[in-house]
Amino acid sequence: MTVLLDLQDVSKEFPVRLGLRKGTVSAVDGVSMEVHQGRTMGIVGESGCGKSTLARLIVGLHEVTRGSVGFEGRALGSARKRSKSLSRAVQMVFQDPSSALNPRATIGESIAFPLRVHDVPEAEVTARVNEVLEEVGLPAAYATHYPHQLSGGQKQRVNIARALALRPELVVLDEAVSALDKSIQAQILTLLADLQREHGLTYVFISHDLNVVEFVSDDVTVMYLGQVVETAPAGALYEAPMHPYTQLLLNSIPALDPEDRHGDDVGIAGEIPSPLNPPSGCRFRTRCPAATSMCATDAPRLADTGSGHLVACHLYAGSRPLGADPEAAPRPVQIDLPIQSR
Amino acid sequence: MLQIAVRRILLAIPILVGVSVIIFGLMQVLPGDPAANFITPDSSPEQIAAIRAELGLDQPLPMRYLEWLGSALTGDLGFSDARQREVASLIGQAWGNTAILAAVSAVFGLVVGIGVGILAAVRRGSLLDRALSVFSLTGLSVPSFFLAIVLMTIFAGQWQVLPAGGAVLDEGLPRAVAHLILPVLSGSLVTLAITARVTRASVIDVYGADFVQTLRAKGLSSGEVLRHVVKNAMSPVLTTSGLQIGALLGGSVLVETIFSWPGMGLLVFNAISARDLVVVQGATLVIAVTFVLVNLAVDLVQTAVDPRLRGAVA
Amino acid sequence: MSVLDVAAAPEAVQRQKEWNAAVAAAEPQSFWKETGKAFLRHRTGMAAAIVLLVLVLASAAAPLIAPYDPLVGVPADRLQHVFSSGHLLGTDEQGRDVLSRILYGGRLSLLAGFVPTIVATVLGTLIGVVSGMTGGVVAVLLMRFMDMLYGFPAVLLAIAVGAALGPGLTNTIIAVSVVFVPPVARVAEGATRRVVLQEYVEAARLTGASRWRIARSQILPNVLGDVVVYASGLVGVAMIIAASLSFLGLGSLPPNPEWGYMLNSLRGAIYVVPDVVVVPGLFIFAASVAFNLASDGLRESMDTTR
Repeated sequence: MTVLLDLQDVSKEFPVRLGLRKGTVSAVDGVSMEVHQGRTMGIVGESGCGKSTLARLIVGLHEVTRGSVGFEGRALGSARKRSKSLSRAVQMVFQDPSSALNPRATIGESIAFPLRVHDVPEAEVTARVNEVLEEVGLPAAYATHYPHQLSGGQKQRVNIARALALRPELVVLDEAVSALDKSIQAQILTLLADLQREHGLTYVFISHDLNVVEFVSDDVTVMYLGQVVETAPAGALYEAPMHPYTQLLLNSIPALDPEDRHGDDVGIAGEIPSPLNPPSGCRFRTRCPAATSMCATDAPRLADTGSGHLVACHLYAGSRPLGADPEAAPRPVQIDLPIQSR
Repeated sequence: MLQIAVRRILLAIPILVGVSVIIFGLMQVLPGDPAANFITPDSSPEQIAAIRAELGLDQPLPMRYLEWLGSALTGDLGFSDARQREVASLIGQAWGNTAILAAVSAVFGLVVGIGVGILAAVRRGSLLDRALSVFSLTGLSVPSFFLAIVLMTIFAGQWQVLPAGGAVLDEGLPRAVAHLILPVLSGSLVTLAITARVTRASVIDVYGADFVQTLRAKGLSSGEVLRHVVKNAMSPVLTTSGLQIGALLGGSVLVETIFSWPGMGLLVFNAISARDLVVVQGATLVIAVTFVLVNLAVDLVQTAVDPRLRGAVA
Repeated sequence: MSVLDVAAAPEAVQRQKEWNAAVAAAEPQSFWKETGKAFLRHRTGMAAAIVLLVLVLASAAAPLIAPYDPLVGVPADRLQHVFSSGHLLGTDEQGRDVLSRILYGGRLSLLAGFVPTIVATVLGTLIGVVSGMTGGVVAVLLMRFMDMLYGFPAVLLAIAVGAALGPGLTNTIIAVSVVFVPPVARVAEGATRRVVLQEYVEAARLTGASRWRIARSQILPNVLGDVVVYASGLVGVAMIIAASLSFLGLGSLPPNPEWGYMLNSLRGAIYVVPDVVVVPGLFIFAASVAFNLASDGLRESMDTTR
């Protein structure tokens, strides 16, 4: 399988003014990730974990502070600097259907905008707009309408249509269904799956909703406070999560079956630390039931534990510093809940 | 809080500097040569040059600006040959009169305006509200100089009830009030109207907020709820009040000219007509500086009163 | 049975098709068209707009409908009351027909209301949008300069600039334009800052479009609403400031019949023909009321569309 998108040690820092002093927020720190052609990579995490920033780094709305983003082997810079062919190949669907469309432009104009920027001839523009509207299941007559005349689900279809207009290869979806009602979510997810099959698309699907990510993804990456803590094929991650954060996260999903409720009373202790001053060593250690002194002094590396399941945690030998004392390493803690398989 | 106050004050300084530069710049453009008063048709070129040198007109512009600014900061705003007095002393005399007029107009306009606004908001939709709306609209559409003329004609001309002009402020309160009534009414009507509008809109806005429902549910009487609402609604009113005071200061030129009120406005007007450059410079500077400081004060009061404004990072 | 089976059921698909068809059959509703339609239904706004239209047309047609030459006076006929024979609005202190002077003067006064507003809107929007988009040193400097102009009360600044430039209507128009650029720039900048954060602007940026293109197609159309509403409220104010300047002798030169100047020149005759003296003032007042009502109407029409 070809690697389409390759992130290597990507970091993004934002300067911030605190009163009269200056500081930096580390939004994304040392993220490495591979996305394979034709597959869907789900990125999951709580608010503030950096997934939206990562999305924008991939798509070029922000520039990386360190590290590199590569597409088919070529480096991706910021949106204005990348070549037209690269710009065409990587597109994004935004979260909020209402604010993602220009209220003063017709649907047709919004979809045509990327085409015109890329100097597609006018006759082709109209044809492509109609084509793409049909593919997302909207009548061509909508092209003359304005966003406020459409429902939320329809607006999101338009967003998808716009992302497809340039016939990209990779589509980043940042919380693309989070703002929709559940019933509409199902429709849109089905649509996305159909489009992926039809056009051989590769997706990077970002969400905080664990159920949706499981449904949609082939591979899943879990992020915490700007870092990747675990990456695995979806089945493996949901059935046998290795990182304590992933385990706790998956068990915080409320179960609908009353007989299945034993996991509901274990939450994740503590609060998310401030990104201005993240904990030393492993960033999760302040809330981890298994943390030890090694976790405070050494940051665990993301290491392969076999068959493509990567974890960054000192519980696993691969993540520990070379020559570390095994006795100082944390022991798995019985978190007292069987992981529910769905 | 102190940090914010200091920052706002520091930000006001470049504005004050800018204001002084603009005034200085404008005055350089003013047609008329300051040396013209001293040059006669048979002045020799050497005499003219000497006069210009004495007036400091031969120095480069930035130098003249700095000299002027430096003197101004120490209280020396120049000497008016037309009036044969120190500019600072002319301003000193006039400033007090304008301050009284502006202050009374501001207080009147704001207090009555707020009252009218609250009344209209509380009786929203009623005949009274609509009548007050019409009144507000009228108030802010009337040019002050027109109103001044009309009022003067009716009260000072036809009915001879009030004096036609002048400021007699040191012969007892009744005479002072009599001289104040017409100028204050002419100048403050716009302030009243705008304040009423803003207050009404703000109070209606706050009434719709969730916390009002909470207060009612807790059993507070209408009057008590109103008190809370008004307190919260004052923020936009405060903002406009700063601008209104500025408008009063600016509009003083018109009202004072019509009523022969010996204030800064009349001073500026006469100076412009007489091409008395020094006075125009000095007086405009004082008015503008006052305006900036008033706005700064309003700004600080607002930040102190409304905790929400403190969180903003510059 | 999962939710996806429900969604795929024939009744659901049919309902979806009907919904789609219903929306497709509806008319496109562009913001400005809807605002326009709402304004046409707004009674006071329309009434005010009609009054303004009458004033503008009457002034424009002054050479055709004015009964006398506005600049030529018959001293024997001076200071006639309103409704006197041959002079609907009376005569002034030099025996000139007031109606004719009002008609010709309307051109000057109304022009002094519209032109500065338009100039300030164009310049202010330019400055505000550039400043809101770039946010860098240039933006800060520009807005600081605007703040400095803001440090003057409006009338005073107009007087100062007017005095510096000299009398005459053109200079008055320039002076009032200078006064209005900072507030419009502020409104434009505020609106731009808000718009720039929206996702559709991000979507446009990600296509690699140039800043100029984004400004033109995404930012400007969404900022214009706020700016136009604000500017519409300025026309009446501009007219009054210009009239004030003329009243003080700093604006339109005599004997031009600008309404403010007329008020000043007639002032001396206030005990003789108060009804005539009041005429130019009433016209300024009426125009100002009409501008304010129209502006309010526009704002309310826009709010209902949003």
